[in-house]
Amino acid sequence: QEFKFTLHHLLPAKAPAQTKMLEPWAKAVEDNSGGRVKIQIYPAMTLGGRPPELIQQARDGVVDLVWTVNGYTPGLFPRTEVFELPFVYLNDPKAANLAMYDMFESDLREEYKGVEVMFLHVHAGQAIHMRDKLVRKPDDLSGTKLRIPTRTGAWIIEALGASPVAMPVPELPQALQKGVVDGALIPWEIIPPLKIQEQTEYQIEGVDKARFGTTTFQVSMNKARWDGLPDDIKAAFKKASGPEWWGQVGDIWRASDEFGIGLAVKAGNQHITLTKEETDAFQKVLEPVVQRWVDEVSAKGIDGKALVAKARERIAAHGGK
Amino acid sequence: MLDALTSGIAGLVVLVLLIAIRVPIAYSMILVGGIGITMLNGPAMVMSQLKTLAYGQFSIYDLSVVPMFVLMGALATRAGLSQDMFRAANAWLGWLRGGTAMAAIAACAIFGAVCGSSLATASTMGKVALPELRRYNYAGSLATGTLAAGGVLGILIPPSVVLIIYAIIVEANIVTMFMAALIPGLLAVLLFLLTIAAYVALRPEAGPRGGSGSRSEFVAATVGVIPVLVIFILVIGGMYAGFYNPTPAAAVGVFLVWLFGALRRGLGLSALREALLDTAKTTGMIYLILLGAELLKIFMSRAQVPQAMAEWAVNSGLAPMTVLILLLVGLILLGCLMDSLSMILLVIPFFWPVMMEMNGGLYQGAEGAGFGMSTEDLKVWFGILALVVVELGLITPPVGMNVFVISALATDTPMRETFKGVMPFFAVEILRVAVLLAFPAITLWLPAVLRG
Amino acid sequence: MTLGSGRGVRAGPIGLARNVIKVWALMGGVSLVAVVAINVISVVGAVVWKPFPGDFEMTEVGVAVAAFAFLPYCQLTGANVTADIFTAGASPRWIAGFTLLGSVIALGFSLILLRQMYLGMVDQKAFEYTTAILQFPHWIAFVPILVSLALLAVAAAITLVENAQTMAKA
Ligand code: NA
Ligand code: NA
Repeated sequence: QEFKFTLHHLLPAKAPAQTKMLEPWAKAVEDNSGGRVKIQIYPAMTLGGRPPELIQQARDGVVDLVWTVNGYTPGLFPRTEVFELPFVYLNDPKAANLAMYDMFESDLREEYKGVEVMFLHVHAGQAIHMRDKLVRKPDDLSGTKLRIPTRTGAWIIEALGASPVAMPVPELPQALQKGVVDGALIPWEIIPPLKIQEQTEYQIEGVDKARFGTTTFQVSMNKARWDGLPDDIKAAFKKASGPEWWGQVGDIWRASDEFGIGLAVKAGNQHITLTKEETDAFQKVLEPVVQRWVDEVSAKGIDGKALVAKARERIAAHGGK
Repeated sequence: MLDALTSGIAGLVVLVLLIAIRVPIAYSMILVGGIGITMLNGPAMVMSQLKTLAYGQFSIYDLSVVPMFVLMGALATRAGLSQDMFRAANAWLGWLRGGTAMAAIAACAIFGAVCGSSLATASTMGKVALPELRRYNYAGSLATGTLAAGGVLGILIPPSVVLIIYAIIVEANIVTMFMAALIPGLLAVLLFLLTIAAYVALRPEAGPRGGSGSRSEFVAATVGVIPVLVIFILVIGGMYAGFYNPTPAAAVGVFLVWLFGALRRGLGLSALREALLDTAKTTGMIYLILLGAELLKIFMSRAQVPQAMAEWAVNSGLAPMTVLILLLVGLILLGCLMDSLSMILLVIPFFWPVMMEMNGGLYQGAEGAGFGMSTEDLKVWFGILALVVVELGLITPPVGMNVFVISALATDTPMRETFKGVMPFFAVEILRVAVLLAFPAITLWLPAVLRG
Repeated sequence: MTLGSGRGVRAGPIGLARNVIKVWALMGGVSLVAVVAINVISVVGAVVWKPFPGDFEMTEVGVAVAAFAFLPYCQLTGANVTADIFTAGASPRWIAGFTLLGSVIALGFSLILLRQMYLGMVDQKAFEYTTAILQFPHWIAFVPILVSLALLAVAAAITLVENAQTMAKA
């Protein structure tokens, strides 16, 4: 092959993120190029460093491509963060991905300095996992300890009157089992790899799969590498990374999520879906998180209010709520 | 131009050469890793990576337990805990033939419960126990051999710095590893005690009976171990019970040992200062090796060496157990020349993928697995086996760090005698490895029970 | 690594540098003790009230700062492990030569790392990297770390000079 690329990420090679998303995408690019491109995937940080360094590695050209979690470097992608907010993101990863696609050129691109974004996506959304406490209203969480996912996730936990507890993901099952934390705010798709069903009794989400915020991810290429590519190779990447693909990634993560909750239910866990009224009660308590974010980014000269409105509008336009 | 795999293997050869000519192991790894990546991908890549790599490595949360356990051990050394332990163990066992040596083993084991390092255990207990052993006219080889071997318990009984590093490399749960290490560690204590009993049965003049103390001495000495027990229960017990993660547990341990030292022995600022400088040396050494290992890992990954090794092992037609035994023998041989931590960092990134592939991959369950257990369990079992064999390196010639430490304390005993004295313990350690290999349940039972 | 006659207090700039390096290692120790304190407070806090927010990220930053501060002292005291066995029979001159090679590598690496981590700090600042909960800017941690690396270079230069002297004498 004439064009070889390294793609670095943090999860093991057999994680669905690699097998169901990165591998098919890489294959599509390779096929589009008529076999002139070869993308070698390096899982589990095998090319060195810690997950928060991935974005820097892409920017510096240490690797050509990365798949990374925006939230690992808090504050670096403030605009995209709007899609993580509770009740801005509600329940539809496909609609959220397509909304990000719509807003990418106009609103988001400027914060991806030094890289060329291939695609952005979210996971199906944070739900509440509790070891032994049933939660139906925000008050039920007051005084509990919950593992945080991202900085906006920590704000959600604080808004609910709970304490955010940070810890490495491998420690979570143990911490749940022993009661170091009472629960966690994570999507269903993490249930199988960490065997969360064994450490918890309750999986709780809002009406219509409503979640409490989500996490944004990116697949990006080093900018100089991208700029140096001939147009037909660029086209091979672009063609594999169009709106259909962004939407499809939403379906992929939705499917992983369904698989995860299915496993928990099969293990005898209680899958609780809150009623409309109960969900609204959460929305009322979490609305200040959106305001907190707006205030935070406004200090950086970003019109947070407009981004929230636009994100909500675009997500709705793609059929999501 | 060499292909990537060949340059990777050439890199390993150069690494061994550099280590052989006294270049510090950390810098050997840094040099080979850095130049290797440069050869494969140009200098810009490694230079850019150095902007954040060291900060990233040094700020790994899981790793923060290492300096804390090192500090805890350094404080324990100065808090007089070792005297208390030896006094108690001597009150229990001293009246037996070979009893003072047995007491030294028991005291090493108890000290190991608050100290994560083998060398610290050997030198601390050596200072306390050697004068006593000499007072009772123990044969030099038995006295020094016992202490060199007993030091190994510092790392076999949790907490253990080597085990923490292993857990980080293979992404295992540290607490689970600490649970798994306990019964094999106690087995080592038992076997060491039996070894001394057998030794003095064959050569009664080597280990005379000690004095049997009064009843009041027995009680007073026994009461003396209570603080250590309380600290162990709060730190390791609290971790087992899931009361907290390893890092806060270690912090509580540091605090308690310091508090005990301050109240009981008037441990002051100058002792704290000495403990911090000791911690600085050990921690700096460990972290630099970690950084070197990371650079080497990047070079090796880019050269596809670990993948090639795993593939080779799977296609070799060898039975999984045969491969495992070969790897363990390799570690024992390497242990003659290298220290345990460098070995774990250098070798596990190659050996673990081999083990994993032989078992059937990361997500393999117990059913149909190469080793008849899930990959999660294999991680734990292999970790304990690797720990035991790399620790053997501390007592094998020509480079046996524990033997060096004890020899430096016992200037009247030639080092050759110490190596001779260690041999019976080495033999039972090999026996123990065989037992742990044959019965994985010894390792896996406790974590399974404690996890419910 | 041998230190030859270098151990102990000496006057002049080298003696001063040695003292600075030792004090700097102790400052690293203070950072470690602070991390211990934060964790103990967090454990006690979790029992009586709630955990210390940000204990996790302060542990990461504090230990990293401490570990870098330990490196110069490690170099100076020859604490970096070597395998001495293969060269045990070599003459003192050769051994000093081998040890000198180690010091050269340490000096070169510390200077490269100093430069690259300076660039790293510039990045951290430009892109406003912070921790998640307390939003502590990472570049601030790089300041003491760069001092540590500069002192590591000084320590390596000292051991290098001493190795050269030993070689000349042997
Ligand atoms: Na120990
Ligand atoms: Na050895």
